[in-house]
Amino acid sequence: MNNIEVLAVFLSLFVLFVALGFSASRWRKGDLNDLGDWALAGRKLGSYLAWFLVGADLYTAYTFIAIPESMYVKGAVYFFAVPYVGMTFGVALITMPRLWKIARKKNYVTAVDMIRDKFNSRSLAVLIAITGIAAELPYIALQIYGMQAVLTVMIGQLVSSNAASITEISLIIAFIILAAFTFTSGLRGAVVTAVMKDAIIFTTVIVVIVLVPIYIGGFGHAFASMPKLPTGDTTLAPLFLNGFISLSIMSALALYLYPHAINGVFSTKSTKKLRFSTALLPLYGVGLALLALFGILVYGSTKALAMVHLYGAVTAVPSLIYAYFPPWFVGFAFLGIFIGGLVPASIMAISQANLLTRNVIKPYVKNLSAKTEARLAKWFSVMFKFIALAFIFVIQATYSLQL
Amino acid sequence: MTAEINADELSLKTKGTTGQKATVAILLLIPVIVFAITPIYNFDGPKLFGLSFFYWFETLWLFVSAAFFVAAAFLLNKMEGDEK
Repeated sequence: MNNIEVLAVFLSLFVLFVALGFSASRWRKGDLNDLGDWALAGRKLGSYLAWFLVGADLYTAYTFIAIPESMYVKGAVYFFAVPYVGMTFGVALITMPRLWKIARKKNYVTAVDMIRDKFNSRSLAVLIAITGIAAELPYIALQIYGMQAVLTVMIGQLVSSNAASITEISLIIAFIILAAFTFTSGLRGAVVTAVMKDAIIFTTVIVVIVLVPIYIGGFGHAFASMPKLPTGDTTLAPLFLNGFISLSIMSALALYLYPHAINGVFSTKSTKKLRFSTALLPLYGVGLALLALFGILVYGSTKALAMVHLYGAVTAVPSLIYAYFPPWFVGFAFLGIFIGGLVPASIMAISQANLLTRNVIKPYVKNLSAKTEARLAKWFSVMFKFIALAFIFVIQATYSLQL
Repeated sequence: MTAEINADELSLKTKGTTGQKATVAILLLIPVIVFAITPIYNFDGPKLFGLSFFYWFETLWLFVSAAFFVAAAFLLNKMEGDEK
């Protein structure tokens, strides 16, 4: 494998990604000194862009790394993510347009803005805002964990020593760049780059799910080669039936409690466009289902298995891609997975920053101008990214899904 | 800001006839209920491309869910009318 070629493709596409992220500030230009504009892209996204944006929330390192890793290690119970994404949008279709209407009328930026008004309690709003901020931190850390998995394989194959420290330095550089363009472009940066990210990811998923089974002799071969997994292989082990059902239902009810999901909702142009894009989101889950199956395909390939043993189960998807495709495609796919962690991290940090400025600081500071509010939020979005990065360096996770 | 959120003022009450509301409810509930009753798809066969029923059925049902949800979204949009 020509690893220099992998790196060259990866880096060129990364430059394109960064250029898109920065130039997004001029896209559908608004007043970026206003929090609603910076954090919600001017509230004028149509159905398809909103679809990509909310899809970016769903299609994260959770999908590329955590779910396939868990399928590989533990088996069928982790397919719960499929019913989860199938159900969650049915719930959202009823609840979210209502929240959207209130938010538009009252100029809300976060879901907590509504809680404060509805329950007329500043302290309840502060507590819920802090809960939201805390809940996002491990989720951002999971994105970094996924990016780390890609770099581990790419850099591990490229250099013979110091791979771990080069990976860490690369992650820090990537985060500085991400923080800079989130600061400049806000949610616009995430929307524009989300389209690039998903174009790459969709292509990769389709190519892999078609070609790898052909190379390894079908899913039948992968299933036949796999050991007995703790929660079931071809079907769910009976013991895990209840766990499967409760995990999927609870996750379905919880997705839209994540503050970053609300950004996607509030940034759409109208309730009609919001409903249409929400209704189409289960299609995004098809990619998730296929990626989960990559965790099983690994068992059909001695080459991929050898890499997974070397770099850890977290690299199930990158190893599978590395084992079967030419260097240019590996670079392309790895970049997709890498920015698949960066884009959601950007949206999540924006939503945390909104909560902190809007619902924790603003109520207690008199005469906070709109301009100062937006500036504070931009700096907080930088801060939260680096807190999450510190989180990953301090606590090394065993299984990414537990984050 | 005002404390109370007035549902009438915000026109949060769902418009449309009872029949339309019931149709929306059915369109949304069918995909959700099928997904929630895991024992009806937790089988090995029939297989598709070497995948057990458990895996391919759930994947296929995502497409079906999207179709049901789009139908519900169209109906809800129609019930909402031309208001902004």
